[in-house]
Amino acid sequence: MDRREGLARDITLEGVAKIFGTQGRLVEAVAPTDLVLKAGTTTALVGPSGCGKSTLLRLIAGLDLPTEGRITIGAETPAEMRGRAGLAVAFQDPALLPWRTVAGNVALGRSLARMPRDAAAVAELIRLVGLEGFEDRRPAELSGGMRQRAAIARALAGLPELLLLDEPFGAVDELTRDRLNAELPPLWEARGATAVLVTHSISEAVRLSDRILVMTPRPARIAADITVTLPRGEARDPASEAFRKTCAQVLAALREHQLPDSIAAQ
Amino acid sequence: MPAAPLFGRRLTRGLWVLLILLCWEGLARLSASAFVIAAPSQILHYSATHADLLWRAFLTTLWAAARGFFWGNLAGVTLALVAVLLPRSERLLSTLALLVFCLPLVATGPILRVLYGPGDGPQVTLAALAVYYTTFLPVLVGLRAVPQGWRDLVRSYGRGGLTLLREVRLPAALPYAVAGLQIAAPAAFLGAMVGEFTGAERGLGVLTVRAMRALDLPATWSIAVIAAGASVAAFSTIGALGRRLDLAPPEVLLAAPVARARNRWEGPAHAALATLAVLMLWQGTMDAFGLPPFFAKRPGDVWDYLVTDAAARARLWDALAETLSMAVPGYLCGLAAGAGLAMLLVLAPRLSAATLPLAIALRSVPIVATAPLIVWALGRGGAGTVTVVAMMIFFPTLVACRHGLARTPRAVLDVFAVYAASPLRRLLGAQLAAMLPAFFASARMAIPAAILAVTTAEWLATGRGIGALMATVASTSDYNMLWSAITLIGLAAVLAHALVFALERWVLARTNPEQLIR
Ligand SMILES: Nc1ncnc2c1ncn2[C@@H]1O[C@H](COP(=O)(O)OP(=O)(O)OP(=O)(O)O)[C@@H](O)[C@H]1O
Ligand SMILES: [Mg+2]
Repeated sequence: MDRREGLARDITLEGVAKIFGTQGRLVEAVAPTDLVLKAGTTTALVGPSGCGKSTLLRLIAGLDLPTEGRITIGAETPAEMRGRAGLAVAFQDPALLPWRTVAGNVALGRSLARMPRDAAAVAELIRLVGLEGFEDRRPAELSGGMRQRAAIARALAGLPELLLLDEPFGAVDELTRDRLNAELPPLWEARGATAVLVTHSISEAVRLSDRILVMTPRPARIAADITVTLPRGEARDPASEAFRKTCAQVLAALREHQLPDSIAAQ
Repeated sequence: MPAAPLFGRRLTRGLWVLLILLCWEGLARLSASAFVIAAPSQILHYSATHADLLWRAFLTTLWAAARGFFWGNLAGVTLALVAVLLPRSERLLSTLALLVFCLPLVATGPILRVLYGPGDGPQVTLAALAVYYTTFLPVLVGLRAVPQGWRDLVRSYGRGGLTLLREVRLPAALPYAVAGLQIAAPAAFLGAMVGEFTGAERGLGVLTVRAMRALDLPATWSIAVIAAGASVAAFSTIGALGRRLDLAPPEVLLAAPVARARNRWEGPAHAALATLAVLMLWQGTMDAFGLPPFFAKRPGDVWDYLVTDAAARARLWDALAETLSMAVPGYLCGLAAGAGLAMLLVLAPRLSAATLPLAIALRSVPIVATAPLIVWALGRGGAGTVTVVAMMIFFPTLVACRHGLARTPRAVLDVFAVYAASPLRRLLGAQLAAMLPAFFASARMAIPAAILAVTTAEWLATGRGIGALMATVASTSDYNMLWSAITLIGLAAVLAHALVFALERWVLARTNPEQLIR
């Protein structure tokens, strides 16, 4: 049904590291990392604030270049993939254009991806993220969580093969989040798209992903690589024993690596 | 809104206007012997008896100003687009644009007159020259005032600079463009009037020169009032149009992000390149159009003249020293007054309700029309000229600083509010840092404005300094001296600009480092 169906390919990181240098001060954000993310899977990145998750996401999108190592998506570089509008990012800061309405911002996700106008598809996405009735409002009139939802709708609008979500539901209330967690993933999973998701919610990570990477404090290193063996989709029951066990596993991994080396050494 | 309070407010406003007019009338009558202030009744009488003359002159000036406004803004927007699309050219373009803007209108006027001959070519050109920079700069700022997040969004779809321009930069720049056009409207009027000083046949500028020669007080005041009224009307019309477009007001008025030199030689290298480009442009256009060397002096001629003629050198030097002794204090006073009042208004917001409309109205008054009046009022000593310069700078600085102060992030202000910090504490702790970029941007913009004000005042009123020198040598066809004076003024402006720029970088690197990054 979709021109991009089945095109998704593995994401390969080989020795990827990122060091920021501002005014002579060097900040090592991502320690050298080797990683393969399977095509068509959803991976969650969890880790303490400031550890380098967003940085890793930006590297995968090719928005920043790694200081060392290289990233490929199938046979392509991230830049090549972007060149044919194969990926979309929902940024941590929604970055909506203030002069466009909600509908206009969502439609921008299609037009930037060089897809024809489709008011019905845009309206459907707006409905899915629960913003119906706000189509004609400007971002300034929305709450923080509403803006985030508009940004997610925009990212989904271009039907990307690779979807990068940076704390997409961070400012959304528990109930709405629950609904979005149930309704949105099928949109990309059904198309076989790959997704990488940064989240601070352990249960959300377990709910949405096939694999959870627990990161250490800065510089980000993969502390634990947890495969989620629960059934996908609605069959994944947050009340089940297996679900709670996976959550506990993630929490334990986070605890173990909670303190930055400098503090732990004291 | 119920009718009664609205009517009441109109009534109070009307009473205020009446009161001011009465005070003005009284003051004028009391000081009649000092020969400075024309009373409203005199102005009215003059305007009524000379309505036809004034109306025709006004239309002439308006037509020239309108065409200059169009061409100047077109040039400003085009330059800004080129600078954004070809980032490597930005510094060179900015420097060139600044240099040309720093050429004193008072001096380019006579040269353009010789070039164009009779007609309104010089008026239109000067009007265009007076506006293109004040449009170029805000539009450039608007085009570049694009948060990283929006840029990343466009990049994440693999789209390039043109998409960014269409979807993000142009809409983001629109409110800045409106702000620039607003400032440009009175400037175009001013440019057209200066053009008319230099031997036009018709127009308000011609009438001004005549009235001043004849020491005709009511006439001078009438023209000033008409010019001011037209400018205020244009200023508010464009503002209203901007509001109709439902644009968010620009976040920064004029603060161009300060590009950081990659290494220590980059700044000087760019300066050298810009100087070379200017010299080549100067020589090149003159050769290309085959302008007669009698009046179209080349860079080499100016150099020879200044090197060989010691008397000329001394004369020029004295004039420059005289001019700077007026311009520098006026410049500093204007900046200090503008920034000071902006901060005061934050501490005492009630004051602002009263002063701001006045400030905005005065900002749009063409200073050329009022300069002679101020100098007459304060005498031909230094005070008058210094005041003219300070006034020219005060209002834009005030407005820019207020924009800057208003830019303090809401959340930061909330933090101070939570701790019930005093307004002073809030000002020093949060708002001052937000104001500085706007302040410095307006300090840079104020340099050409100061030069324009000081040379105009010298030419029209005091008869001293480099402004008067240029007027004299233009009328005696001493083009060597004229070109030398222009060169020197341009050089002084660029040096002053470099000085302010260095100070700006030094201060902002400590207070607002984010302004310095790309
Ligand atoms: N452009 C930059 N320049 C310099 N340092 C940066 C830059 N971007 C990020 N950093 C640094 O890299 C580190 C990781 O930042 P990053 O935004 O990736 O964290 P994060 O894991 O996403 O945190 P959070 O969960 O709070 O969003 C931080 O210490 C930050 O200071
Ligand atoms: Mg982050």
